[in-house]
Amino acid sequence: MLKKNHIAILSVLLILGACGESPSTDSGVPAKTYRHAMDGAPDSLDPAQASSVYANQIVVNLYDTLYRYKYLARPYELQPNLAAAMPAISDDGLRLTIPIKKDVYFIDDPAFEGGVGREVTAGDFVYSIKRHFDPATRARGTWLWQNRIEGLDEWKANGSDYNQEVSGLRALDQHTLQITLTRPFPQLVHTLTQGFAGVVPREAVETYRLQLASHPVGSGPFKLLSRNSVRAVLERNTRFRSEPFSLQDEGYDPQERDTTGMEVLEGGIAPFVDRLEFEFITEDAARWNAFFAGEVHFIKVPVSQFDNVLSQRNPLTLSPQFQDVYQFEASPEAGFIYTNFNMADERIGYHPDPEQNRRNHALRCAMVKAFDWKKRNEIFFYDIGRVFPGILPPSVPEYNPEGDHSYIERDLTGAREFLLAAGWNGDNLPVLEYGFPNSVTERQIFEQFRNFMMDIGYPANKIRPMVFATYGDYQRAYSQGKVTLINSSWTMDYPDAENNMQLYYGPNAAPGSNSANYNNPEYDRLYVAGAALRESPERTQIYREMNQLLMDDCASFTGISRTLLFLWDRNVIMKPDRSFLGGYFMRFVDLKDLPPP
Amino acid sequence: MSRLPYVVRKLMYGIPLLLGVTFVSFLLMVYFGPDKTYELLGKNPTTEQINEVRHALGYDRPFLLRYSQYLKELATLDLGLSDSSGEPVSSILTRTLPVSLMLVLPGFVLGNVLGLAIGLLAAWYRGLWLDKLVISSSVVGMSVSFLIIIIGLQIMLCTPYGLNIFPVRGWQVHDLVSYLHHATVPTIALVLVTLGYNTRFYRAVMVDEIERDHIRTLQAFGASPVEQLFRHVLKNSLVPILTRIMFSVPFVLISGSLLLESYFGIPGIGLVTFDAITSGDQPILKAVVGLTGVLFVLALTINDMLYSVVDPQVTRS
Amino acid sequence: MRRTWQGLKSDRFGMGGLLIVAVFGVVALCVWTGLLGQGWSEVSGERWEGASTAHWFGTNILGQDIFQRTLFGTATAIEVGLIVTFFSTLLGMVLGALGGWYSHSWPDEIILWIKGVLDSIPFYLFAAAIAFALQGIHWAMHLAMVLTFWTTTARIVRGEVMRIKEREFVDAARAIGLPGLTIVFRHVLPNTYHILLVQGTIVFVAAIKTEVILSFLGLGIQDGVSWGLMLAESSQEVLAGHFGNFMAASVFLFVLLMGFNLLADALQDAWDARRAIP
Repeated sequence: MLKKNHIAILSVLLILGACGESPSTDSGVPAKTYRHAMDGAPDSLDPAQASSVYANQIVVNLYDTLYRYKYLARPYELQPNLAAAMPAISDDGLRLTIPIKKDVYFIDDPAFEGGVGREVTAGDFVYSIKRHFDPATRARGTWLWQNRIEGLDEWKANGSDYNQEVSGLRALDQHTLQITLTRPFPQLVHTLTQGFAGVVPREAVETYRLQLASHPVGSGPFKLLSRNSVRAVLERNTRFRSEPFSLQDEGYDPQERDTTGMEVLEGGIAPFVDRLEFEFITEDAARWNAFFAGEVHFIKVPVSQFDNVLSQRNPLTLSPQFQDVYQFEASPEAGFIYTNFNMADERIGYHPDPEQNRRNHALRCAMVKAFDWKKRNEIFFYDIGRVFPGILPPSVPEYNPEGDHSYIERDLTGAREFLLAAGWNGDNLPVLEYGFPNSVTERQIFEQFRNFMMDIGYPANKIRPMVFATYGDYQRAYSQGKVTLINSSWTMDYPDAENNMQLYYGPNAAPGSNSANYNNPEYDRLYVAGAALRESPERTQIYREMNQLLMDDCASFTGISRTLLFLWDRNVIMKPDRSFLGGYFMRFVDLKDLPPP
Repeated sequence: MSRLPYVVRKLMYGIPLLLGVTFVSFLLMVYFGPDKTYELLGKNPTTEQINEVRHALGYDRPFLLRYSQYLKELATLDLGLSDSSGEPVSSILTRTLPVSLMLVLPGFVLGNVLGLAIGLLAAWYRGLWLDKLVISSSVVGMSVSFLIIIIGLQIMLCTPYGLNIFPVRGWQVHDLVSYLHHATVPTIALVLVTLGYNTRFYRAVMVDEIERDHIRTLQAFGASPVEQLFRHVLKNSLVPILTRIMFSVPFVLISGSLLLESYFGIPGIGLVTFDAITSGDQPILKAVVGLTGVLFVLALTINDMLYSVVDPQVTRS
Repeated sequence: MRRTWQGLKSDRFGMGGLLIVAVFGVVALCVWTGLLGQGWSEVSGERWEGASTAHWFGTNILGQDIFQRTLFGTATAIEVGLIVTFFSTLLGMVLGALGGWYSHSWPDEIILWIKGVLDSIPFYLFAAAIAFALQGIHWAMHLAMVLTFWTTTARIVRGEVMRIKEREFVDAARAIGLPGLTIVFRHVLPNTYHILLVQGTIVFVAAIKTEVILSFLGLGIQDGVSWGLMLAESSQEVLAGHFGNFMAASVFLFVLLMGFNLLADALQDAWDARRAIP
């Protein structure tokens, strides 16, 4: 039996061993800390693996990307980050020359010679992109540059030898980069704002290999202090380049309500805070409580609290009891939620027999008409989501407010007529598998969907739930054609509608992002035609045509863009956002000086 | 030292058990566990990329080869890197195990000590109102689901609907005060859920002992209740008590802490294990299964040896 | 057995427990035969309505009637309990008897080894793996529980059989020349039925509790509704002040489990006259 003393000693040792860190700088002054609550946790902090919002937001604070978005300008505008200027583009649009800032250094790390971080060069960028095409990296961002950069795919096919040059990705000198494309890609610069394009030093990769995922070595405004499954702590990178903050450069508009208080930031050197603390709180209740108790400064408000937080929906107004204590922003997401039919499934999708094909089409259109977007918006998005037809959400200029809205308006009589005319009834309707990754909300969404269909006579037992433990498992199942109704959300990678159109491009069928396995030659032709164009009236025309084709085929229930609500502490000066994975705003966050406790 | 071959024999018996556990678990993980592949792929993967990732994760190698590799890794304690975060599994374990221990130990100890004390009291005053109260309370305690206790406590102690004095979740522990701040509610939950079972168990064991003749004899001789209780009853019931405690340790630690950790956001081994189970992070699972297997085998062996110490007849069979 | 029933009848708490269990059983039966709880998936009201004459327990986020869902959850709980108890008891009985009869010889060693292996695999890993393996099949969770719960029953039966086989009537049976297996299953095993009954009620309770946690974690039932799913729903809602799901599931679960525990206790007391509280 353990004696009492032994138990006490053991306990003390355990406590000391499982200690957290105390948040003061060496001088004993409490560090200026910004605490950010996230509704999920990143798995890997390796830029090449930063595929989730959570990872991206942290990675762009640890690493440098060539470009980023202006802090305050909306719509979003590109801004040089590690690059010294916007790229010089050749006439045919295939060659980009990018100058890189001088005197930018990686953080000190044992991987470097003498433990001192060296200067970042154009060669580092070349290396960082190349590693996406090396299977050993287990990269997740490869698709952005696949078949786009001259020589890169061949480099991979030849064994990913880093000593080999890639003709389309060259460092002309220490501070000049040249990218040569195989075909026009107007969105290339946008891809260089993503965490995937973070610049990684070769020494770190070769020293840490897969452990780079938990041991970041970057040149960003912060460096990693600690991380576990519930939080990550970053501290200021003292070697980060000093660039005075310019309101005008960042798109400041004095008329905007959102940016009041920002004047004090003018001329300051980012990052303005000493520490960033990220709390990974998946459970809504816990996250809300943590925010309310002042344990975190920022929260993306859980939908179940919208009622409490908002006093009015149109215009969105914060409840009086919150107005004096918190600041808030309603941010429409860049992305949307939609449900695809698996068109490759003959029971409901394409069928070789033209007559059956027509009947399937009628069934799909009946179901689309039976879907109640208003109810979906009301119950799960607090009625402040924006429903729109097709895949051109209000966040892109191609959105057509006067366009064909028939597919998003509920029409039960029309739906039943379709079913009757095509000879469908409760007995011969096919059994459909509706898949979703396990969560309470997903299950509720499924039950609501089933109820919508029950209203046109679809028997409840013919719409079966298929529950998956993880999103990965779910993805595997629908990529293998096992799921007929695929509920997904799409987060746009950059503010360009091309990112959405590729969702239904034939060659992107499973296992690619075209989970509907949509295959329309006309759509594909238009896609290729539009790919070379920048945003323009010509391209808008093409994209709207494609959108209509998609809707007329009734291949999908689409879509709704959520409106996210952000609340943050009154003493925090910032304009947060989560669009396009985001995270750049954190270097500009500042806390008002508070009286000592 | 005729005991030695017995001990050795008992330990050897543990090996087929360990093999069985690792084999079945590995089988479950490989063939029926979630597949990490798609999580490691980007938005628009090609079949080629899928195969590359599967190869990198070792999924395309034959089962027996992977199993023997697993055994080798266990034996050499080369636990590899997590498939999700790239962190070495051994560092994950050393980071999370102390946290789980700190979380679960107070509740475990308190639950057992209280259960023992109350059970003892109830057994001593058997049949009287105290005993009946204890029995009915423990039945109530056994009828409430752990989940309900956790959610209920959270509402009562951590939210504005109740007292709101403890944090809803988190583990920022750097001194005794913050430790108490974070560990109190989970500890209360653990005690409440185990108290009913513990009390019944200890009461039953004590009742058994007290009924024994030698205790009656002691009573007849006028020995004080305290003396009877501590020197005789408790000592003799040591074996079943220790057995129970020992067997519950691996499970309380890993399965028991799972709900607490996920609900209260505590970065311990239960949460890590559960994440690994649902995301298919095989290196972590392999390590955890190996660990629990070894602990269980040890518990089994020590338990058998204890019985043989108490009852020499067992050794001879 | 008659002695047990007599003893049980005189125990008021035990009879109370039996009554509770019986009521829940009848509810489950009504759900299975379509008399009650059929509207569990139907959206029949508005979001988060309070208790009213139309919706006795109010509605959930979708507008589904919580009372209907609770009733359906009762059927789920009883179904899980029955299936798991029946099959794990059967399995445990057979393997325990075999192990006890052939104790310390190789069949026993093998069965003991299997028990040890199953006991040391982390339960949630096991349940998750079975859930994935039987993707979509309703019985995955039941199977996982049966395969892990039988070991305790088997252990008890084995102990009992080992004890009983020392008794004289067994020697007599052997002397007559009855084959071993007949002796075990026809004569020895019936003497363990009372223990099996008590253990059965304990397993029932454990099965229901486990289902609640498994469904909460997403490893439980696929379609339909259970108290575990309702509790999972409630964990998101309670902070916004909606307690319908939580109260309904908690109360029903508590009452059923109490009933079973009281019954189990009473059965135990009734069988063991020595342990009966005067």
